[in-house]
Amino acid sequence: MTENIRNQLDYFIRNKAHHAFRQEKEDPFRLAETFEKAGYSDLERVVRRFCYVLEKEQPVVYPWERIAMIRTAVTLPEIHTPKEKEALSEAHYIHEQGKVCNINPCYAEVIGTGLLGKQEEIRAQMEKRKSADDPKAREEYTYLEAMLRMTDEMLAFAGRYGDAAEKAGNLRVAETFRRIPAQAAQTFEEALQFFRFLHYCLWCTFNYHNTVGRFDQYMYPYLKRDLENGTLTKEEAFELLEEFFISFNRDSDLYTGMQQGDNGQSMVLGGCAQDGSDCYNLLSDLCMDASLELKLIDPKINLRVHKNTPLALYEKGTRMTKQGLGFPQYSNDDVVIPALLRWGYEPEDAYQYVVAACWEFIIPGKGMDIPNIDGLSFADVVVKCLPKLTECMEFEDFMKVVHEKIRTQCAQMVTKYKNLYLEPSPVMSLMMDGCISRAKDISLGNKYNNFGIHGSGLSTAVDSLAAVKRFVYDEQSVEKQELLDALAQDYKGHELLLNRLRYEGPKMGNDEEDPDQIASRLLAWFAGALEGYTNERGGIYRAGTGSAMYYIWQSEDLPATPDGRRAGEAFACNYSPSLFCRLKGPVSLVKSFSKPDLKLTANGGPLTIELHDTVFKNEESIRKVAMLVKSFLDMGGHQMQINAVNKDTLLDAKKHPKDHQNLIVRVWGWSGYFVELDEVYQDHIIERMELTL
Amino acid sequence: MQGYIFDIKEFAVFDGPGIRTTVFFKGCPLHCMWCHNPEGMSFAPELMTSPNGCLHCGRCAQVCPSPSNCRVCGKCIGVCPMHLRKICGTAVTPRELAGRILKDRDFLLKNEGGVTFSGGEPFAQPEFLEACIRELNGLHACVETSGYCDGEWFRRIVGLLQFVIMDIKLADDDKHRYYTGAGNRKILANLKQLKSGNTPYMIRIPLIPGVNDTKENMEQTAGLLTNAGPLVRVELLPYHKTAGAKYGMVGRSYHPEFRTDQKPQYHLDAFEKREIPYKIM
Repeated sequence: MTENIRNQLDYFIRNKAHHAFRQEKEDPFRLAETFEKAGYSDLERVVRRFCYVLEKEQPVVYPWERIAMIRTAVTLPEIHTPKEKEALSEAHYIHEQGKVCNINPCYAEVIGTGLLGKQEEIRAQMEKRKSADDPKAREEYTYLEAMLRMTDEMLAFAGRYGDAAEKAGNLRVAETFRRIPAQAAQTFEEALQFFRFLHYCLWCTFNYHNTVGRFDQYMYPYLKRDLENGTLTKEEAFELLEEFFISFNRDSDLYTGMQQGDNGQSMVLGGCAQDGSDCYNLLSDLCMDASLELKLIDPKINLRVHKNTPLALYEKGTRMTKQGLGFPQYSNDDVVIPALLRWGYEPEDAYQYVVAACWEFIIPGKGMDIPNIDGLSFADVVVKCLPKLTECMEFEDFMKVVHEKIRTQCAQMVTKYKNLYLEPSPVMSLMMDGCISRAKDISLGNKYNNFGIHGSGLSTAVDSLAAVKRFVYDEQSVEKQELLDALAQDYKGHELLLNRLRYEGPKMGNDEEDPDQIASRLLAWFAGALEGYTNERGGIYRAGTGSAMYYIWQSEDLPATPDGRRAGEAFACNYSPSLFCRLKGPVSLVKSFSKPDLKLTANGGPLTIELHDTVFKNEESIRKVAMLVKSFLDMGGHQMQINAVNKDTLLDAKKHPKDHQNLIVRVWGWSGYFVELDEVYQDHIIERMELTL
Repeated sequence: MQGYIFDIKEFAVFDGPGIRTTVFFKGCPLHCMWCHNPEGMSFAPELMTSPNGCLHCGRCAQVCPSPSNCRVCGKCIGVCPMHLRKICGTAVTPRELAGRILKDRDFLLKNEGGVTFSGGEPFAQPEFLEACIRELNGLHACVETSGYCDGEWFRRIVGLLQFVIMDIKLADDDKHRYYTGAGNRKILANLKQLKSGNTPYMIRIPLIPGVNDTKENMEQTAGLLTNAGPLVRVELLPYHKTAGAKYGMVGRSYHPEFRTDQKPQYHLDAFEKREIPYKIM
């Protein structure tokens, strides 16, 4: 690590000295009130908000940096007043905050064209619609005009940054801003600054979970050219890359998703190309090394792997896991790509897949998928079926009830997402395929408009059904009514039964036939139940194995379950064994979890496992952890994240947060600082440690 | 035929080549003062309780028929709401045990591993051990042993193994007797067999502060390892103070006669000058 990088880590990460430039917080609705009074359209509001934020921003350039820009205006104004928001949510289905989010823009498209080039494209489209007098063309013209105004604002803002650089005596950054973002980037350094600029602007227009995508693929040509020209050495490139990585952590605390750290800055490295070749390149490797050396939570590293990925790459990934960052997260091309093809994605798009903020698989530039629109709670399905238990003579009769319930719940769910509303985002649309030529904002959809449904509480449901099978039907050691009574009383007065179900029942994750087969069936039924439905945008529904925060939300009000879970106890996170499962070990675990046909439920959602930090002790044992990861994926696993953990450390961190400011943990699909999490998530993570292998 | 085991651990990464399943045999003829697996000492099944998370609800005491003298009846296990109690020591047949191991055969093969028999002392149940290995259908098998066993059994069983991990705790016979409860003559004789045999093996030395981490002992130990035949390497395992953690769980007390808070010394030159490959774990 160079002196310069060490200094930047001190400045931005440890001391957060740049926070001194941050301005006062504002009322986020003040602007919306003026918009309401003026009666502006949403589009006009979005443009005005963007101009307002950029004009409020005070450019700050340090003499010692090469990738500039920090946020100083900390409040992102809303475009609607609370009352307007309420009216909107009555008339529309609002996903999360009602903003375009969780997609992967094609930064490279703008970086390789320049904003002036983009303006040419916009003007050409305006020209086509200029004299048309049908209302649609006029509306399109207005839209393009708005886009043009926003790009003007971006150019002016970049100009101010250039001036600030000059004033700071940083002629290099000044030089960069003289060319970009107006012109296409010519060098790796310019391309990185251009990316930083675009990403910054996306946040300023209140898009969030702005993912990074296949950075190693779209940035490599710039690096390659510089190296070949001899204008950059590998060492210089690495330092530049590290500076760029640090820049993701400058303002990220302003970009809170559900929790601090959930900011969607996920980067995807490697992968299999359509011709079967491996895309992992020099830049992928430099990114891995930079993340290893910097040990920062952003960008979050995702590795695309496939059957020909060498063990050495898994070893490198495992060394990263050892740092305790909770990543890399692995995605298996051999499962994900066929799944995407099955869902109708075209091959040239499917091979380009990236992960969204957490783990959902999406397509750069072309996908306006909403892969986390809702979640089915498998555990809730089982609870709702239990009243029918006494009518079921055979276990299979009960499974039929479960199957039917999955179908009806899915059928009900898909009727909910009607008249979807998202704020327009012309800045995001600049980077999404076809938005300029069609004069259509990305918020209205794009080539892919599929909705993803998470599946949470799977292991709770599986263990419950397996317990019913064994104790009620096979052994007949528990009467149906006895079980129902115990559940109704939340096991009060039924402690022995509770212990038996909780600790001695069959569990998913122990390589046992019954639970594993039930898991395969539930997942296949879930996938099947969503098949055939289309959403209002013409997209389909994709079933998944993720939980997001549903593992807390959906479990809080759920009564006791037949796996010995008491009312309100949390589900496991994502695709993982239940919290009180006594696991046989990692081998049984990966065997169990690779049995279902995960191509059917590949919306996203990793097997999440916790390995005690002692297994990362030396290079030999690291190699063996790498083998374990590779085995899961080779056996048909779709996605995996691993935590290197030590329960004592976490308990101590909860007690003495000051001593553990830098302790990083994986939460559900992202890594965050443990001490910054809400207590409920801290406790869940500590509880999860019981599963440490 | 039945043998007693007290645990099966998947994904053992420090017990031989590749990813392994380690089986812990119950009972050991030695009683090393620093033993970190006290549940492996006794040959008889015993009750093991974990103190962490105990609610002190008293349910275990309510059902206990013999509070002053545990008869290992197991009545208290199912009533514990926190699942903190178990019987340590299960009787299994060689076929049952092999079946459990071979369930993961493909996985272990693919990952360059196999099974390791540890303990306790696996050679203390030699007929059972031999029968287990014969049931494995050629799966890579390793024993992790103190080396304290009958030489004839050692020869017979090592012949069936692909790898051996053996301890040399102390080179001096009297000190060995003092700290482990038995002299080291059998161990050194078995070491000779390993040196002159064909089975690759590894020597482990637990480094106990003030007991065997002296220059003298390291010189003597390294001296035993010249012309060591198929020796792969020596592994030095520095004493860790968590070794005493499990004594209370099996109703034993931990009173080692050495300074548990001290860091052991390393006299690595003893190995270096003899060109014996070693690794600190």
